Amino acid sequence: MNNLRVSSSGIRGLVPDGLNVNIASDFASAFSTYIGEGKRIGVAIDGRKSGFLLSDAVISSLSATGSNVVFYKILPTPILQYLIKNRKVDAGVSITGGHNPFNWNALLLLDEAGFYLNSIESNEVFNIYHSKEFNKVGWQRLGKIEYENIDLKDYIKRISELVNVDIIRKRKFKIVFDLSNGAVSSVINDITEYFGIEPIFLNDKTEGYFAHNPEPNPETSSQVSSILKNFSFDGGFIFNSDGSRVSIVDEKGGAFSEEYTLPIVSKAYLLKKKTPIVTTVSTSKMIDFVARGYGVSVFRTKVGQSQVIHTMEARESFIGGEGSGSVCVRDFSNGYDSIFSFLLILEYMTKKDLSLSGIRKEFPEFFLLKYKVPVSPGKMYGAVNHLKEIFRKEKIDLTDGILVERKTGWFNIRVSTTEFILRIIIEAEDKEKAFKIKDELDERLWGVL
Amino acid sequence: MKSISDLKISISGIRGIVGKSFTPRLILDFTQAFSTYVGKGKIAVASDSRPTRDMVKHAVFSGLIATGNTPVDLGILPIPSFQVYVKYSRANGGIDITASHNPVEWNALKLVLKGGRFPFSFEAEEIIDIYQQGEFRKENTFPKKVYEEDAFEYHRKRLLSFADLDAIKEKKIKVVVDSCNGAASPYVEEFLKKLGCDVIVINNDVNSPFPHSPEPLPENLKQLSEAVKKYGADIGFAQDADADRLAVVDERGEPIGEEYTLALGILSYLRYKKISPIVVNLSTSRVIEDIGKEFNVKVFRSRIGEINVVEEMLTYDSFIGGEGNGGIIAKDVHLCRDSFTGMVLILELLAKTGKKVSELKSSFNQYFIKKEKVKVSLRQSLLIMEKLKRKYKNEKLNFKDGIRIESDEFWALIRPSNTEPVIRVFIEGKDKKHVESLFKEISDEIKRLRR
Repeated sequence: MNNLRVSSSGIRGLVPDGLNVNIASDFASAFSTYIGEGKRIGVAIDGRKSGFLLSDAVISSLSATGSNVVFYKILPTPILQYLIKNRKVDAGVSITGGHNPFNWNALLLLDEAGFYLNSIESNEVFNIYHSKEFNKVGWQRLGKIEYENIDLKDYIKRISELVNVDIIRKRKFKIVFDLSNGAVSSVINDITEYFGIEPIFLNDKTEGYFAHNPEPNPETSSQVSSILKNFSFDGGFIFNSDGSRVSIVDEKGGAFSEEYTLPIVSKAYLLKKKTPIVTTVSTSKMIDFVARGYGVSVFRTKVGQSQVIHTMEARESFIGGEGSGSVCVRDFSNGYDSIFSFLLILEYMTKKDLSLSGIRKEFPEFFLLKYKVPVSPGKMYGAVNHLKEIFRKEKIDLTDGILVERKTGWFNIRVSTTEFILRIIIEAEDKEKAFKIKDELDERLWGVL
Repeated sequence: MKSISDLKISISGIRGIVGKSFTPRLILDFTQAFSTYVGKGKIAVASDSRPTRDMVKHAVFSGLIATGNTPVDLGILPIPSFQVYVKYSRANGGIDITASHNPVEWNALKLVLKGGRFPFSFEAEEIIDIYQQGEFRKENTFPKKVYEEDAFEYHRKRLLSFADLDAIKEKKIKVVVDSCNGAASPYVEEFLKKLGCDVIVINNDVNSPFPHSPEPLPENLKQLSEAVKKYGADIGFAQDADADRLAVVDERGEPIGEEYTLALGILSYLRYKKISPIVVNLSTSRVIEDIGKEFNVKVFRSRIGEINVVEEMLTYDSFIGGEGNGGIIAKDVHLCRDSFTGMVLILELLAKTGKKVSELKSSFNQYFIKKEKVKVSLRQSLLIMEKLKRKYKNEKLNFKDGIRIESDEFWALIRPSNTEPVIRVFIEGKDKKHVESLFKEISDEIKRLRR
């Protein structure tokens, strides 16, 4: 297994066995060559141990190929995307493993508007990467290398134009934060201070070790839950390592599936502005419930930030996201921003005078089952194609993997673009019906794998 | 053959032109090879003031971290100070980012091993072998780099205890120093003031471009000469970009020539420090033999290349040596070429003799030295050398490095370059006309053979 995955979001792997400094150097050179000489490229890392290893290789390569570099050190990807949208830098490389385990890392490429590259752009970058034909500049035209400690003032100011700061401050929230030892740790203090939130921070050291996998979901919520069960707080939030995802725990310690984040934030945002919603074929139907309530439509795409946000642009949608706890509000930036999502939730709670458990009650009780099946790289696509044959007579959608809709529920099976697994999501009216589908799928997969 | 590659992998490290061969990938690989070779620990990293330094440095950091070593960032530092730092900080080795006297578009990685010395040739071959095999140590510890605030401190301390401070301070010598906006720029003024000198600095801004080619040759000393005359200084010093070589301008603004920099340094050492055998390389002036005779010490001649001088200094238990290009080595400070050591020795000589620089220079026998190169292809160069050996077989010859012809009247050294498609010819004698005609004879012979 080569432990290296490429996708339109960039290049990702186990360090150093999959992603090493030479690959990082070439990939950064390819990106810089694609962007063109003389631009300013922002570089950020999350809290991973391999961050500086890769950032040094990336910075050197960007400079050598004629791009100026602004190095922000530890910074959430959404803030880098925000900076690009607001023209502080022209493009970006975020070095982050996102939700992947601590020994993984990735280079995510951000274009001139702060978007993840679309598939045509990323194809071009990969073509340059494989050809090794990088721009070479002489000593006079090497890119300048600057270090910048980010001033969050502008970022916060822009947030306060979109959410009501005063009412949030008045409510004097008490919140437990689990930062997964990631990049949000570097900015969260400024946010809580500004919004008058009384915080408890868990796992806020960015020394390269993770207390748990940086993937927000009920499993990784246990530390936050145990505090909320014993002390009086308004709720808890778990962030992934680059600040693109967030999941919720209510005031009684009840951990929400990460699938709740998008529908809750959408509800909050649609109060302000009616807009179509974009999400993926692998996301809970709760979003359709929200859309019906506001009379807006839902568009579904393949999985991935690049797909979702480029579709949002095409459909003139201002809110979108995925069931992984990721939400983008396009007035604000062209990326999944967990910090902005979190503040929209607080605003919604205040406006509606609801607790988090109260918000959850606004949704119908579906039963959701999400799991992964490890699979060898050679068999991934074969397995999915085989299942297509099996289910082809049902109501089937092939946008990403296989989506099968039945009266009692639906399921989606797809190949992960970041790991060697099949991701399966089943949503049904109740637990029994969900597990009935799972049993059926287990049997089918057994036959294939 | 179209042209020769600008990339040079040799025992002194790896060198190339930024924007051509000297790419991040190359730097990453070479750093990883070196880092694999030296084992695990702290590795010092410094640079001269070249504008490409940051690009190179980040790749070096990355290569070190990838192989599990901790980079120690020393900022901009002279190479002798760097070697001293590696020794006394007990680092496991070091990489200095400097192309020394080469023009600004060049850069290089100079490798330093534990103890602060350059690799011997067998060690360099091992490092190059690892580089060429491309299999480096893989680590997932990813050590964090650390920063050193005052990396010049070890060197400063050693120099100040080496110098006879009272004697130098008393004379309040007026000095103009040109550090070529190079690695010595942040340090040299403060240092000379500690010696009680009245210091005028020119070109000491590391963020400005090199004001002239950074090789301390007479033709690059015009600005210094003018300044010495203008300020009525006692002496002018010029350092190259990495501050290992030193050139001297006398009180009248006349460059004394690099060979005499070394002669003044060695004379001062033998007279005021201690008696020791001398080691210089095969292309250094005979003025050194004259000094050896005066103090009745032996002079040993090594192959060309700083590390070869150092190796023979160790072999013959020598404390003083160097190269005729202005590179003075005094073991008391460190076994490396050091322009700071050179300044201390020469200032001490001025202070204690009370003589002017021009007077000191004219007290030596005056030789005429010619250093030229003749173009040949790489393919031909070794063959031509063999033919020349036969041609001069009746002379007194030495084959330690190329061909050295010895006679009472003159000496000549003919050797193929490691870095360019040329054969270098050095001739020194007392009579200029004789030297010129010998050069013509030898270069004509090379031209005839290359046809």
